Amino acid sequence: MHNIIIPQLIAGLAIVFTLVAFGWRLKVFNSLARPIDRAPARGSIKQGLLYAYTLGMAPWAKESTRRHWLSYIRGVFFHIGIFLGLGILVISPWINLFPTWLRITLSTGAGLGALLGLAGFVARFIDPNLKALSTPDDYFAVLVVSVFLATACLGLSFLATLPIFYIISAFMLIYAPFSKIRHCIYFAYSRLFFGRFTGIRGVLPHQQQVLR
Amino acid sequence: MDTNKTETALGILNKQLNQPLLAALEVCARCGICAEACHYYVAEPKTDYIPATRAEQLRKVYRSEHDFLSRILPGWTNYARITDDTISELADIAFTTCTLCYRCTTNCPMGVDTPLLMTTLRTMATATGNAPEMLEMLADAAVEKGKDPSIYLDYFLDSIRDMEKDLQSLTGNPDARISVQKKGAKILYVALAGAHTILPAAAIFETIGEDWTLSIFEASNYGVFLGDPARAKTIAKRIVDEANALGVKEIVISECGHAYYAMRWTAPNWFGDEFDFRVRSIVEVIAEYIQQGRLTLDPSANPGPLTYHDSCNLGRKGGVIEEARIIMRAVTNNFIELAPSRDEAYCCGGGSGLVALPEAFDIRMLAGKPKADQVMRSGATIVAAACENCRLQLGDLSEHYGLGVGVIALADLVVKAMRLPGAKDSLEEKITAQNSLVEK
Repeated sequence: MHNIIIPQLIAGLAIVFTLVAFGWRLKVFNSLARPIDRAPARGSIKQGLLYAYTLGMAPWAKESTRRHWLSYIRGVFFHIGIFLGLGILVISPWINLFPTWLRITLSTGAGLGALLGLAGFVARFIDPNLKALSTPDDYFAVLVVSVFLATACLGLSFLATLPIFYIISAFMLIYAPFSKIRHCIYFAYSRLFFGRFTGIRGVLPHQQQVLR
Repeated sequence: MDTNKTETALGILNKQLNQPLLAALEVCARCGICAEACHYYVAEPKTDYIPATRAEQLRKVYRSEHDFLSRILPGWTNYARITDDTISELADIAFTTCTLCYRCTTNCPMGVDTPLLMTTLRTMATATGNAPEMLEMLADAAVEKGKDPSIYLDYFLDSIRDMEKDLQSLTGNPDARISVQKKGAKILYVALAGAHTILPAAAIFETIGEDWTLSIFEASNYGVFLGDPARAKTIAKRIVDEANALGVKEIVISECGHAYYAMRWTAPNWFGDEFDFRVRSIVEVIAEYIQQGRLTLDPSANPGPLTYHDSCNLGRKGGVIEEARIIMRAVTNNFIELAPSRDEAYCCGGGSGLVALPEAFDIRMLAGKPKADQVMRSGATIVAAACENCRLQLGDLSEHYGLGVGVIALADLVVKAMRLPGAKDSLEEKITAQNSLVEK
């Protein structure tokens, strides 16, 4: 048991560090001006926001995701896997209390997430556009997160490997605020501004769906 | 390296850094899914034309200033310090390889506002003297005209009196008038330079007995294209002041995408308050007349087949989408939609000032290729567009790609369908007449 306490402690401190670092980033973000739309609305900001966070994310909602539906769905499930992995990290100290079927389910989910992440890593090497766009940080970030998910999968299957999971988690968490991984904290804001922009103008949700 | 220019550019970036800009700089995952959303990329699939690649050019500069990891490991994030040379390269990217059409944003899973990043680059370029000379000249000319309108007012009023005769013969109404700056009018109509945006609107307003008056200013706002809020505000202020002085209830903008976008959506933010009057596009007003039954239109007047091109500023960025369809269905029995259209429509490739740059002809013909292909596939012989820049670009595309289509404004189609006594018999004649009005 002594073997696991120190890695657990390191992972715990990494969680605190990441929360503080992301909190600082959000504080900086919120200290900046947020422009106010003073033009009278033509559509509904509420409808625009609702669409931006729900149906607007559906694979069929955009030409780009209809065209690249496979890589889009891969990305969506990879990100669901990441949240699952973080959940596993939080509950892992009590993992012995969980029934086997739940451990297998969580392990499978994390394992699938790892595979989808690795597929994304390989895609960055193969797809000429992605290759041209990618920075070393892009490759490393997706690799680190994929390894994190792989060790989560492994840790739930073989409890003896949990210390590795904690160390990898700690590394990923400490790396996150400095790297491309931090895009996660800006996602909600970006969709917020998108929803406001298209909503107030009455562009989205699609007018023909609303009017007809 | 010119330190002053570099400092100016970085100063602009830091000054402009607000929440939407920071989110756009930080949130991109470089997934490349936006590639085919861009008409440049569709025309020529090279990585430089992927919206994310364009946006990366500003992100690299941002990282060099604001990112810890980039400072200690520059190669890790591909950061780039800004220099004199890179400012002009960035200016070229922002002014000639992006028309700020917003199609990439609506197609991005994150909603990355790449046009906002490109506008910031335009602002940086303009502040450092790297903006296209033609746009600078046009913006300055508008600012100068606004300072002392009396210089050209007599000439303007003379040309309006001439136009009034054309209006009377078109409408068959000897009492038809084009009032200029009439106090207390309900509508202040703001046209573009040239009779072609005044006469059709005047015919519609006079026929239905609208209480309207004409602005002495032009709706165009080249300050917007420059990403220069100070000049853009100065240009808009002429019209805002005019509307306030006349006490009108509403400003109606001619069929011009950027002018509508600037006055309807951006100007209230420049002036820090809601206006006392409403701002609408003539497209919205005509659609309302049709829905209210105030305009009697004969759809057989425009046999077509006709299609409609959605201007990005009016449609995807402005919300004026269905109104154009209301008009098209009322003026013809042979309306064909382009595919894709509405908020998914391709930009014509001439937007955001590109059509005004003689040196950008080749690239705008390239950027317009997806639109030209769409028009060709549609089988339409006439393309209607509610934006002057789009119409100019579509005309050039027709010639360049041998489409053989006529290009026309919605108001012209409406006038044709009104069966006015003096209206030209064929659409071809109408287009020829419109071209001569443009020259006037």
